[in-house]
Amino acid sequence: MSVFFTHWLTQNLLVLAGFALLAWTLWSVSHHERWRRAWLRFRADRTGLVALVVVCLYLLLGALEVVRLPAGKGGPQSVLDLFLSGITTEKTYSAPLATTLLSSAQPEPLKGRHLLGTDALGKDVLRETLKACKTALILGGLTAAIYIPLGTLFGILAGYFRRRVDDAIQYFYTTLASIPEILLLIAIIFVLGQSLTSMCIALGVTGWVGLCRLIRGETLRQTERPYVAAARSLGQSHWNIISRHLLPNVMHLVVINFVLGFSGIVLTEAVLSYLGVGTPVGTASWGNMIDGARSELSRDPLVWWNLVSAATALFGLVLALNLLGDALRRAFDPKQG
Amino acid sequence: MKDEGGRMNPESRPGWQRFIPHPSSFILFFLLLAGCDNNPNPPPLREKRDDGSRWLVRYGGMSEDPRSFDPQFAYDQMSRRVMEPVYDTLLEYHPLKTDPYEVRPGLLDAVPVKEVGADGKPSYLCRLKTTARFHDDECFPEGKGRPVVARDVRYAFQRLCDPKVESPFLANFSEYLPGLQAAHDAAEKSGRFDYDAPLAAIELIDERTFRIHLTQPYPQLIYWLAFQCTTPVAREAVEYYDGKKHGGVVRPDFHKFKAVGTGPFRIVEYVPRQRVRLERVEGYATTSFPTDGFAAEAPEWLMALAGKPLPLIDEMNFSIIRENLPIFILTRQGYLDAMGVNKDAFGAMVTPGREMSPKYRERGMRLEKDVEPSTFWISLNMRDPLLGQNKKLRQALSACYDSKTYSDIFWSSVAPVAEQLIPPGIPGHSREWRNPYGFDLEKAKRLIAEAGYPGGIDPQTGRPLEITMDMVSVGSEDRQRSEFEQRCFASIGVEVKIRQNTFARQLQREDTGDFQMSSGTGWGADYPDPENYFFLLYSKNVPPAGKNVTRFNNPEFDRLFEQMKTMETTPERLEIVRKMNTLIAEEVPQILNFHKAFYSAVQPWAPRTQNNLMLEGGVKFSVVDAALREQKRKEWNRKPLWPLAVLGGLLALAAVLGIRINRRRYV
Repeated sequence: MSVFFTHWLTQNLLVLAGFALLAWTLWSVSHHERWRRAWLRFRADRTGLVALVVVCLYLLLGALEVVRLPAGKGGPQSVLDLFLSGITTEKTYSAPLATTLLSSAQPEPLKGRHLLGTDALGKDVLRETLKACKTALILGGLTAAIYIPLGTLFGILAGYFRRRVDDAIQYFYTTLASIPEILLLIAIIFVLGQSLTSMCIALGVTGWVGLCRLIRGETLRQTERPYVAAARSLGQSHWNIISRHLLPNVMHLVVINFVLGFSGIVLTEAVLSYLGVGTPVGTASWGNMIDGARSELSRDPLVWWNLVSAATALFGLVLALNLLGDALRRAFDPKQG
Repeated sequence: MKDEGGRMNPESRPGWQRFIPHPSSFILFFLLLAGCDNNPNPPPLREKRDDGSRWLVRYGGMSEDPRSFDPQFAYDQMSRRVMEPVYDTLLEYHPLKTDPYEVRPGLLDAVPVKEVGADGKPSYLCRLKTTARFHDDECFPEGKGRPVVARDVRYAFQRLCDPKVESPFLANFSEYLPGLQAAHDAAEKSGRFDYDAPLAAIELIDERTFRIHLTQPYPQLIYWLAFQCTTPVAREAVEYYDGKKHGGVVRPDFHKFKAVGTGPFRIVEYVPRQRVRLERVEGYATTSFPTDGFAAEAPEWLMALAGKPLPLIDEMNFSIIRENLPIFILTRQGYLDAMGVNKDAFGAMVTPGREMSPKYRERGMRLEKDVEPSTFWISLNMRDPLLGQNKKLRQALSACYDSKTYSDIFWSSVAPVAEQLIPPGIPGHSREWRNPYGFDLEKAKRLIAEAGYPGGIDPQTGRPLEITMDMVSVGSEDRQRSEFEQRCFASIGVEVKIRQNTFARQLQREDTGDFQMSSGTGWGADYPDPENYFFLLYSKNVPPAGKNVTRFNNPEFDRLFEQMKTMETTPERLEIVRKMNTLIAEEVPQILNFHKAFYSAVQPWAPRTQNNLMLEGGVKFSVVDAALREQKRKEWNRKPLWPLAVLGGLLALAAVLGIRINRRRYV
């Protein structure tokens, strides 16, 4: 089974399926009046549009790293690797655009030029920074695939059924939220073993509480509105009321939460990698790059390029996601025009 | 806005005037500044010696806290570093003889010679020096230390057997010294160790003389007599310092951090996570600086130390510093007398020609290279169905591993590539010997094909051959090491999956055999003998019996090991060692990596007097020029005056503004 999922063809199909699902969702909601109006308002928001373009760029880079093609003897390679195949690997550190290795013991000439220098193992830092988009994309995507259904489902159930269901769900998430998040994450990762999937599961299992609270509150508000009363009086089933009436009316919150939560997940990955329980060995990730910089910053001469490029990439994505989240909130806000 | 007394409320002051601090805050600020100093070391215990000469202090660093000061229990490096100057050992390593290592008398008056008794069993007759004494301590009558007697040596060996001491050394002796294991077992059964009962291994002849009996030849015993575990301890001290309350006062625990030693220093202060301080013991006369073993090119000042009484300094201050950066900074400021040049400081301190960089050379600092008697490798589990059965595969894995580049990246090219298991300085190490399966990528590719995996592809699955490698992963550097190793094996098409472990988990996996390959394993010599390395591959030493974690089981190797382990170092023995080296190289139970080596930067006022790495620092042989240190510290820590000038200017400005505001308000 694991061979099936790790096969490059399966992974390519999964990525394509993911993007197709996203496109279909956008296409289907475009018929919805509320979403159409939101799109019109969003189009007028220049900051939001720029943020969207930046986020799409990151997504594209991530997708290029995930999609692999057969490339001769060495087995399948990612599209990004094929694009960057001209970039050489050196022996160890070299500064941006340097011509020799940084090591004073062996200032050997470099095989090529590196815009952002190379790391301890001689890997091109720019290439690693771009490849790390994949990790962010997988982390954000898979984690969202776990916590969004959980948070939305529990939130709607609590808000709609109220009473004992609400009490039980509230009790559960309050207990979960009372455990220090980082400790819980580390514990789950230790139990499941250190891998990207375990990290997504850990983040997903611990990350739904905020969304659940939000959706519960909104559902409580929505259930008081006449359209829900009308649906009830027409004898519609609970399932119909939830799926046809309530869910579309809270979806905008889910979208905004997803966008803002994505940046939180990427940041948490950096924190977990810094604590040594992050992504596994060999996975390019900004968190690992920042963690590596811990000792590099005490070197003399200073190795700053690894930290700067990872932090800049992380900053760019997190800022863009936050701006996009704000723009979406404004677009869906009924008080706005 | 003013209050009833006509004073202005500071909150109501207009605009920028609110930001002018009250003059008293400046006074407070300067008072606080007066308390600032960048010297982290405590003031010396004394300013001058009794004869009026300068009190000499050395400042060193330790990366961790010691675990105990009990010589029969503590085995870790930091504890040994503190105990070495406090407890003299029966024999000690000659500070100037390192190739090969030699021992010289410590508490004993001569290095004992093996004698063979009428029953054919060997023994060593030992005699303690008359000058050997315990330090003055309240555990002795009237607080006066007494001479060390043979009974104390027997007591030390008895403590090795006492289950309550939990000595990790018993296993090393039980096979060779009669009665030790029996005494341990009896104590375990009865729940109490009988210290009044005789011990077959130690025969007391008179107050100062004793004989160590052996069941079979064991030449390595001489080296164990230079280890702290066999150093005599006073029974009064152990019984007095029991860690319990007596008369309302809790006494320290001898098993933890109380030492009543016999060496040139006593511990005067141990502050966990901060420092350990040692003070010279007045009247110490057990050992002196050697008169032989000087190199032909030894400087005059070093030659002048020959025969001098030890120690050469009055106080030793070990600061416990866990991070690399503060060590580098404190050394630059002159607050540490030496530092190991780690890879972070390497670029700044060492030139491409492997010399001290001009910046630090101008300061008078020297660069010393030390190769530790240790070897590091990747263990291959010989009981693994894949690796254990396929010699060619093991050879291919060894041949694709680029130890040289590993040393270049992670040891700044300082650590020599390990061509054999035995490290330099240990008899049997050969400089000419080359590992036939050392790094050679073409050969590795050929071997992997011969092993049945052409291009690293497993013909059964059509996918790259997968092997799991366990390693300790606690930080970014460990991750870089793993990635490097993955890359080496990937060069022949083998896909290595990394399983990250904590150190304890990794040891557990090695002990239970739950691994295919285990990276980062190494061994530092307990004593300078090849037996101390080859026993790691002896089939009877598979855990839990010993440390043969590879589960290597080769009858020929075992036969040779049994033959050489009790031999004196003779040409015949070295020939056997050579054969064993060849056998290991061919069988590849380990992928040899490097011998640990490092550069040390030494301050001009604290030149090295010895470079024996079997010693844990050799504090008693250390020297220091305190006047030069004081002068250099002043030079290197000159405080710039401009911040004071700026502050003074700001103060003056504030005063002028204050006066003007005051005038405007009341005039």
